Amino acid sequence: MSEVISVNNVSKRYGKKTVLDKVSMNVPSGVVFALLGENGAGKSTLIRSMLGYMKLNSGSISVCGMDPLKQPLELRRRVGYVSDAPSLYEWMTVAQAGWYVSGFYPEGFLKSYGKRINEFQLPHDTKIRDLSKGMRAKVALSLAMSFDPELLILDEPTSGLDPLVRRSFLESMIDRAAAGQTVFLSSHQIHEVERVADWIAILHQGQLQIVAPLEELKSSVTMLDLSLRDPLLALPNEMDQVKVLHRSQTGRTLHMMVRGFTPVIENALSNHSNLFEIKAMRPNLEELYLGFTQPFDSNQASDSQGPSSKKPNQSEVA
Amino acid sequence: MQLSIEPNNGIPIYEQLVRQIKYAVAEGILVPGQVIPSVRDMAKQLTVNPNTVQRAYFQLQNEEVLQSLRGRGVAVCEGAKKQCVVDRQQLLAERLAAVLDEAIRGGLDEVRLRTMFEKGLKNAIQTGDKQS
Repeated sequence: MSEVISVNNVSKRYGKKTVLDKVSMNVPSGVVFALLGENGAGKSTLIRSMLGYMKLNSGSISVCGMDPLKQPLELRRRVGYVSDAPSLYEWMTVAQAGWYVSGFYPEGFLKSYGKRINEFQLPHDTKIRDLSKGMRAKVALSLAMSFDPELLILDEPTSGLDPLVRRSFLESMIDRAAAGQTVFLSSHQIHEVERVADWIAILHQGQLQIVAPLEELKSSVTMLDLSLRDPLLALPNEMDQVKVLHRSQTGRTLHMMVRGFTPVIENALSNHSNLFEIKAMRPNLEELYLGFTQPFDSNQASDSQGPSSKKPNQSEVA
Repeated sequence: MQLSIEPNNGIPIYEQLVRQIKYAVAEGILVPGQVIPSVRDMAKQLTVNPNTVQRAYFQLQNEEVLQSLRGRGVAVCEGAKKQCVVDRQQLLAERLAAVLDEAIRGGLDEVRLRTMFEKGLKNAIQTGDKQS
């Protein structure tokens, strides 16, 4: 599978603040790729860098095989973009906006635009300034899709939109993906992303936490609830085989998000004297997101430095 | 055919789709020869990723529940019903086993579990009778 977007070791600072810290990722062609992250995580900065709106402090980005800073025009012919606050000429009507933008693209744009405007049930003769937020978003999406871009980039496409408009946005994304085109979106609508995305990336405080196919990620990670008789005792040796991504504790129950948990390990744990209940579940995207973005529980003083931290000394095990 | 997908219930979306289509065939809601929505239409209807729907359809084709009709979409196979009924029973057995496992681990003894089961079964049969 070829890459549509390739981000290599990208860093970006605003003044002293680092917004993107050595971010690297590849977006395969033909997928719906969702970038998740809290407000201020660097999502929009990354997206704007992909479109050549800003210079990077280091690293490089390639979109459809082009450098966004060096080939901005060619890039815009092939990439559709809807920003989180689309800027349109307020005094134009919906039809005029389409006519204006069609000048930048090959023939066929207007016809396709008209079709989408009808599908979205937008009025042709209303001025942009008189449109609701949802309608403006639909105009922006129509403009971005009407030249049949091989890549569609959407920055928080559905935030602040009502359920009906969101639904039509999601349907449009699905349509693009079904036609084999790539959709890249940033969002914090986790439930929507869980439905439509095949790949996800999680950005947290400027650092990329994970990039993976969603289904693969869900099946490789296990949420564990271990009820301990004595919470001060160390975990059984078998737990050294798994990679702990996150852990926290409430009372005698240890919550863990781990990779590499197997039925063999589960079986071994179930025979262990210090554990009286083991619950192993597949995580949903929200749990994954929280696991990858929350700090380790500070109650776990001795061994909570990070995902790679080791468990306490094995000799303590009863 | 009304399908509903819950992306965050721990069962992969394609698997939910596979199960629900099998259930629909087992119950006779979908009949052999019936053409089902295309990957794109189904994806839009459920607002899920088309690759996910494709994966479910692909698995159902491998299991000979669905077949691709050249140029006319995807339809339910002749003789799929029998297999789907068996598969549904299998799934139900698995769910029952999981509940039993939970009960045993929760410390319920055999006698109480049996009483609960008999009572539940009786209720279910009564409700079923009323409905039919």
